[in-house]
Amino acid sequence: MLRALYTAATGMQAQQTNLDTIANNLSNSSTAGFQSRRMQFQDLIYQNVVMPGAAASQQTTVATGLQIGLGARSAASEIIQLQGDLSQTGNPLDLAIEGQGLFQVLLPTGQIAYTRGGAFHQDAQGNVVTAAGNPLQPAVAIPAGATSVTIAADGTVSVTLAGQTAAQQVGSLQLALFPNPGGLNSIGQNLYLATTASGDPAIGTPGGADGLGQIEQGYLEQSNVSVVDEFINMIVAQRSYEASSRVVDAADQMFQLVNQMGK
Amino acid sequence: MDSGFYAACAGLQAQSQALEVVAHNLANVSTVGFRGDQATFQSLLAVSRPAVPNVLNNVLNSAANNFGVLEGSHMDMTAGNLEATGNPLDVGIEGGGFFAIQTARGIRYTRNGSFQVSSSGILVTTAGDPVFGDPALGAKGVINVPAGPVSIAADGTLSVNGAVAGSIRLVEFAPGTKLTPEGENLFAAPEGSATLAQQSMLRQGALESSNVNAMSSVVTLLGVQRQAEMLQRALSLFDTEFNQIASTNLAKV
Repeated sequence: MLRALYTAATGMQAQQTNLDTIANNLSNSSTAGFQSRRMQFQDLIYQNVVMPGAAASQQTTVATGLQIGLGARSAASEIIQLQGDLSQTGNPLDLAIEGQGLFQVLLPTGQIAYTRGGAFHQDAQGNVVTAAGNPLQPAVAIPAGATSVTIAADGTVSVTLAGQTAAQQVGSLQLALFPNPGGLNSIGQNLYLATTASGDPAIGTPGGADGLGQIEQGYLEQSNVSVVDEFINMIVAQRSYEASSRVVDAADQMFQLVNQMGK
Repeated sequence: MDSGFYAACAGLQAQSQALEVVAHNLANVSTVGFRGDQATFQSLLAVSRPAVPNVLNNVLNSAANNFGVLEGSHMDMTAGNLEATGNPLDVGIEGGGFFAIQTARGIRYTRNGSFQVSSSGILVTTAGDPVFGDPALGAKGVINVPAGPVSIAADGTLSVNGAVAGSIRLVEFAPGTKLTPEGENLFAAPEGSATLAQQSMLRQGALESSNVNAMSSVVTLLGVQRQAEMLQRALSLFDTEFNQIASTNLAKV
């Protein structure tokens, strides 16, 4: 009887973390370059009351057995790798990736972080940096007096200086591709860190056939959260939570009945 | 003591185990590829097997001592809904097949097709166990997935950029095969019972949801609850009406 209480509690806990994930997805539905996560669940171990295949008599075996499962747990939250919609901003330093690649950003700690959020800016020295001031890697600096910045699909950055007609190349962007992008470590601010699960990134020039994707200047990749799907998931999570709480109720009442016996 | 008292007690215990089965099903209503359990009850004495020569198996005894107990739980093998996820490494099975997974304990089977590519480039489950593929296409049945867009055909052929990288092995079991759930969405099967799938196919970008029907589970729950209440009524009836009268009133005579 108490087992049913604990089993139902694991179901409620699993749905609780499901709702936490949905809440995070929904609150980032306007975060450029955000990749949503989806909760995955697993069943817990089973208690074998009667082992299936055990001898029922000298000639026969138990056909089905009696196994009582002990509930569910949240196993993983997977990063959804779907491409978000591209929205036109017209800003020359807004970059979107059409493909699986990631931008590389240098953190103040010296670590390289990876992001799909392509809203870049210029700092006082002309370096291309994120909104938090972390420089893009490999570093690109826009010279003072540049009248226009063009970033090609293959990542070549060229500028036109005031008084000149010919554009000059000032750098080229490179993207990183992970063998298992689902294993990246989210550290907030739209940034990921590499882990042993994600593997070492392959760094390459955008636009190739290796799946890095090409760069679109003047566009931002919107969050890949599908608000409709999240709402459906939320309803399912809520109803599943309710169902498990009904079990808690039922177990409690049955327990009460037993306690009242003999009164 | 009346045998009915013990019959009601056994029934109450069986109902509380049935409740645990329902609790487990409802806790796994969001577990991908989960197969729900159904509790079945049996009568304690084998009246249905009169051929078994047993001195206990006489009519009087079976009428008095035929208690209802939980016989077992059997897996509901109906398919869950296929839900589109759009993730290229999510694979749903149409039909009764299973994926074969190479765990540390040996080959295990699952309906959860939420796969990943590990850092060493092989197709694995979320727990990191390699998915078993056609041994002709990869050493020891491991599926190596090079970088690039992955497409998985209905027969399990996995190709990247148009080049075949491996083939996901899909197996089926004869009806009545004893599949033992081990948790973590995995099932164990008797040695040699898995055969190559003939009637199942894969659907890329979809996952099979749990086959637990929340509505019918809640109905079962209500049934279990009411049944337990009735048995408790019976128990207290034996206790107060019969035994009390017997112990207090008889003594006064």
